Amino acid sequence: MSLEDNVRLIVEQMLKDMGKGKSQPSASSQATAPILDECQITDLAEIDLQRYLQVPSPANSALYAEMKLSTPARIGVWRCGPRPLTDTLLRFRADHAIAQDSVLGEVPEDFPAKYGMVSVQSLCQSKDEYLTRPDLGRKLDAENLEILRQGCQKGAMVQIIVSDGLSSKAVEANIPNLLPALTQGLEGMGVKLGTTIFVRGGRVAVMDTIGEELKPEVAVILIGERPGLGTAESMSAYMGYNPRQGMVESERTVISNIHKGGTPAAEAGAHLASLIKKILDVKASGVKLE
Amino acid sequence: MAKEMALVSVGIDVGTTTTQLVISQLTLVNVMPGSQVPKVEISHKSITYMGNVYITPFEDRQHVDGAALRAIIAKEYEKAGVKPEQIDTGAIIITGETAKKENASEIIHSLADYAGDFVVATAGPDLESVIAGKGSGAEALSKRLHACIANIDIGGGTTNIAYFDRGKCIGTACINVGGRLFEVDPLTHHLNYISAPGQTVMNHCYPSGSLEPSEDEVLVIRKCLKAMVECVERVIFQEPLLAQDRPLVMTNTLPDILLNGVVFSGGVAKYIYLPGIKEWWIHGDVGPLLAEAFRESRIHSSFSVHEGSETIHATVLGAGAHTVNVSGSTITISKDSLPLRNVPAVYPEVGALGMFSWLKPAENYNDSLYRTVALVVPALPNTDFKTICTLAEALASELPIIKGEPKVIIVQQDIAKVLGQTLQRLLPSVPLICLDGIELALGDFLDIAKPLPHEDAVPVIVKTLVFAR
Repeated sequence: MSLEDNVRLIVEQMLKDMGKGKSQPSASSQATAPILDECQITDLAEIDLQRYLQVPSPANSALYAEMKLSTPARIGVWRCGPRPLTDTLLRFRADHAIAQDSVLGEVPEDFPAKYGMVSVQSLCQSKDEYLTRPDLGRKLDAENLEILRQGCQKGAMVQIIVSDGLSSKAVEANIPNLLPALTQGLEGMGVKLGTTIFVRGGRVAVMDTIGEELKPEVAVILIGERPGLGTAESMSAYMGYNPRQGMVESERTVISNIHKGGTPAAEAGAHLASLIKKILDVKASGVKLE
Repeated sequence: MAKEMALVSVGIDVGTTTTQLVISQLTLVNVMPGSQVPKVEISHKSITYMGNVYITPFEDRQHVDGAALRAIIAKEYEKAGVKPEQIDTGAIIITGETAKKENASEIIHSLADYAGDFVVATAGPDLESVIAGKGSGAEALSKRLHACIANIDIGGGTTNIAYFDRGKCIGTACINVGGRLFEVDPLTHHLNYISAPGQTVMNHCYPSGSLEPSEDEVLVIRKCLKAMVECVERVIFQEPLLAQDRPLVMTNTLPDILLNGVVFSGGVAKYIYLPGIKEWWIHGDVGPLLAEAFRESRIHSSFSVHEGSETIHATVLGAGAHTVNVSGSTITISKDSLPLRNVPAVYPEVGALGMFSWLKPAENYNDSLYRTVALVVPALPNTDFKTICTLAEALASELPIIKGEPKVIIVQQDIAKVLGQTLQRLLPSVPLICLDGIELALGDFLDIAKPLPHEDAVPVIVKTLVFAR
């Protein structure tokens, strides 16, 4: 059902109910009817934009469909004029809302335990602080460092770190497939892993702080990317050989765009495993690895 | 910095009338930005040497002259200044009537071995149609115009048709209509050989006894050629075939679709684009007359006729530059298990609960000479780790029973690395090759080359090996 049909339906229903209201003074029935209808509206963001053909009667629908499929950009949205159609505008705002939700949302409390991770928190106490103070997202306080000392193995070959970063949704969407593939791949190559760590409110360079404490050979941080309007579930993996305070950004190797529309999580995990093996063999990461 | 790699590729077309060799250079490059999982693709193709056109040597009407063919290839390599060791990849294709000769299969395999380390032998009318359409530029044209374009490659023995819809091949046909089905003496201009398909048409046009010895021979030929072209018309316009068409139509999988245009290629096509030749007998065959019959056909008048980038060289260019795929770089390869040649692709049966099983289909190859088989994994509903593990367990239970090593698995989705690693965990000592990114639509055999340096990518050629007999 198209959006227009939906709106028409709701309006008709509301008009009907207003008419009813005069003869039937029961306030509760008036209130419930429109709400029920509202629940039946399809979530705008559920529609696959690349398969959604907004032009009503295109001259060449096959070509139109092909062009839409070729890009996640908002092309072929129908009608030029002073503003986009309501449909297009609402969808744009819906996608923006998803992106914001993803930044502001939290990874569920029980998520780290489900995957056997030791959970710590950066110096950031709130989302606002996380967004405005990147420096705090790179550090852990004494209490959290103690959790690491108690719960994690020291001097592992590879230390896996997971962090929400700028997208909690990326962690929830990718870790269930990425982590087992990565672990299986590394263990298959005879690599000994440390205890996986989850950092709430973390930045990439929190690996330096953790590296200083646990002294692994290689650290890899799987972190949510800043969401865009195309996807809010994209994840990056940053890898560093000999992670320590003061390491420079060029020493990190990165694989980005891990999501359904990019590199699928499971395949990315397998690829990361062989890349990390290479880092271990060459004893270098970042530009030195090339 | 993107690392570029170059492959030297040879294409050799042994056709009904002519044999030709082309050497091209394929440039491979990682097309993804530095921060993403690499993906190696062929970025550029350039022709470095275009060989002479030779008349295909025959010992007699039923045998190809292998020694003479080998001499042609040796001579061309010398002229091009390359040695067989320097050729990285490529394909030798035996086409048209030549593929029907008794020693076709034997000759082409030995030539492929001679021509280079990883030059593959191919044959089959469907593949020939597709290769010609790629080489003529019809595929690229259909992609550029976002249209459905038919490539009609008219050679000495067969007319090969391929439909390309926006760059994708959607059907092929091969019809026994060609310029050399009748041969003429260039001096006397009289017919001196009629091939079997030619004779069928002649018998239809002139039922026994009706051909007067006094009849003008050129008119007889024209009438037969018109009948042949009408058969091609019926195939293209999806009209019911007549009794006389059946012996001519070898394969036909063309869909009923509205064409936006046609491209002609092959030796005969030259005379379609450049009509008006007076000395029609110059090649000792009826090619120029056949071109005229095509020009007068409904095919020529109903569709917009485009000119491709190549006519007579279409098939050889296609064989040299358009047969190689690259699979990489998230793949799994056990050490020293490549190259592999002539690996048959085995498609699974789908059992209860959508589970795949390859055991039965693989049995067909149990007693064969093939070293191993390639198990094809169709698209999965999702690429979750759990789904991949379930698939890997199914494969692990069947792989040890299926003959041959290394075990080859071809997946349709981007999961070759994770599937390979899962299988290595389940079957630690089994040599394994797990590839993705390969379009298997048109072939049933694979040749897999050694991995490229720098990147974990392998060139793969998908082909058919049907020797028309």
